[in-house]
Amino acid sequence: MKKRARLPLVAGLAMLGVFLLASLFPALFSPYGQKEMFAAWLSPSSEHILGTNALGYDIFTELVYGTRETLLIGCASSVLTLLIGAAVGTLSTFRGTAGWLFNGLINVFVLLPRLVTLIVLAGFVGSSAANLTVLISAFSWSGTARNVRARVIHLNAAPFVENCAILGYSRGHTVLFHLIPNLYELLLSRFLLGVNSCIMMESTLSFLGFGDLYHPTWGTMINFAYNRGAFIRQAYNYLLAPGVCIMLLSLSFYLISLYFERRRETISEV
Amino acid sequence: MKKYTRSIFTALACFLIVVVLNFCLPRLLPGNPVAYLTGFAEEDMTPRQYEYYTEALHLNDPPLRQFMYYAESLLDGTLGYSYKKEAVVSSLILERLGYTLQITLPAVLFSTLIGLFWGLRCGYKKGGWGDRLSTGALIVLNTVPSFLIALLLIIFFCFTFRLLPYSGLSSAGVGRGTAEYVVDRLAHLILPVGTLTLASLPSRYLLVRNMAAGISGEKYVLYARERGLPDGRIQLSYILRNIAQPVITMAGMGVSVCVGGSLVIENIFSINGMGSLLSEAVYTLDYPLMQGILFVTTLIMVVSIVVSDIVCILIDPRVIWGETA
Repeated sequence: MKKRARLPLVAGLAMLGVFLLASLFPALFSPYGQKEMFAAWLSPSSEHILGTNALGYDIFTELVYGTRETLLIGCASSVLTLLIGAAVGTLSTFRGTAGWLFNGLINVFVLLPRLVTLIVLAGFVGSSAANLTVLISAFSWSGTARNVRARVIHLNAAPFVENCAILGYSRGHTVLFHLIPNLYELLLSRFLLGVNSCIMMESTLSFLGFGDLYHPTWGTMINFAYNRGAFIRQAYNYLLAPGVCIMLLSLSFYLISLYFERRRETISEV
Repeated sequence: MKKYTRSIFTALACFLIVVVLNFCLPRLLPGNPVAYLTGFAEEDMTPRQYEYYTEALHLNDPPLRQFMYYAESLLDGTLGYSYKKEAVVSSLILERLGYTLQITLPAVLFSTLIGLFWGLRCGYKKGGWGDRLSTGALIVLNTVPSFLIALLLIIFFCFTFRLLPYSGLSSAGVGRGTAEYVVDRLAHLILPVGTLTLASLPSRYLLVRNMAAGISGEKYVLYARERGLPDGRIQLSYILRNIAQPVITMAGMGVSVCVGGSLVIENIFSINGMGSLLSEAVYTLDYPLMQGILFVTTLIMVVSIVVSDIVCILIDPRVIWGETA
């Protein structure tokens, strides 16, 4: 039983490892520089595994260099999401008006139409990579907050919290040193799934053309491919390769999170 | 009962927040609110134009008064005026909304129904090969971005096999109102609706499957099975009944998810719906139009959630039997 459960973890880690390597040392993977130009629209060959694009850049190289930006935005916004979600989720369990207010905030943010709000806000504040990261996490924390809230309420009834109260610890101390360490597992699994949804969100925004053009991610690549007529030239590899990478990256995070999620029944919404 | 009235209130609060957000954004962000609210750059305007717009937008009035004007524009249904397109925002949106709904509603319907029945079946027979296969496949599908699904479908059905049209919603030269027109429209709708259905199916399926899997171990299900009831009967009258309310809530939330998804898909299939209107608005910096679209999407979402909550109340046995729990 134990052996079977470990297979997804190994597969996920292996895939993630390749992507991490590509983001840290892109030069390892591609023989060409990021801005090295060749003839435009070359079809795949042994020299250019995925061919070249409209400007003559090697597509595989572009893909390798895009890994870093994609992972960076995904991980950064996921961490930010986690922080906001854990904070608001814990605060919402407090008694009195504050708790009620934060709980209301969670419920409202669960309902907001995320994509449309993000597009409109990106239109207003401009879409640099930093802005996108903040915006995405500002609208993705509600799920985490809900889970944290449920877990904290559950933990509040546990004997060790009662002990803390008997020992005369303040509420703040109990939360910081006794409750939050117990959220570790939940936060880890939310982080892994959060990376997925943040990457998905970012690539959707970039695909629609709201991405950061100075830091092209995989979503931006597909947007370029689509707008520069890769369809008409039948350069399907240009269109599909970044999407397949997004899929593999998400899958690797998902597989890793499956391992950490003890009960397999709780495959939560991504 | 109380739970649902509360969630209706939450939906309304959410609505209010979007309204306030819409009102505050152009006024609080760095930059001139006149530029935001008209969409023209400040330096392109003559002083007289500037005066005129400041006056027309009531920017010299106190903030509360401005908010009243904004609320008025929402209540009378105009949603403001797009100076870029020189038209009332609501008429621009209404023109396009129909196309978006033509894609969204069938997709919500299909993905909910397929997710429901398939999920019930696999959750009921959890651990079987059918369950493992389809759950695995849908988990993989869940990680595929919706635009990738769309591109794959286009390449497969339009370029390789030339079976279906890939852009727009009707072919040129087909008269409106004829039978041919309807068939043509349906052919155009297959791919967008299919993409959206495929993109939103996994989350529905996984939700239903997990709930059904949790319930199928209960004793009353076991008893029903011992009595020799057919599987379909057990799934529908024993399992579905107990998970009906989350399923209905999910369908309600699904509308807003699909409206979001259709923004992407409209861009790929060149459909003149609300999604392409939003892209146009963002590219031309037409802020009033963007705000109007955000308002309308929130409205659609709030309505769908309120409706699903009302349905939940109506089918709640405690309400039907007149008990107050």
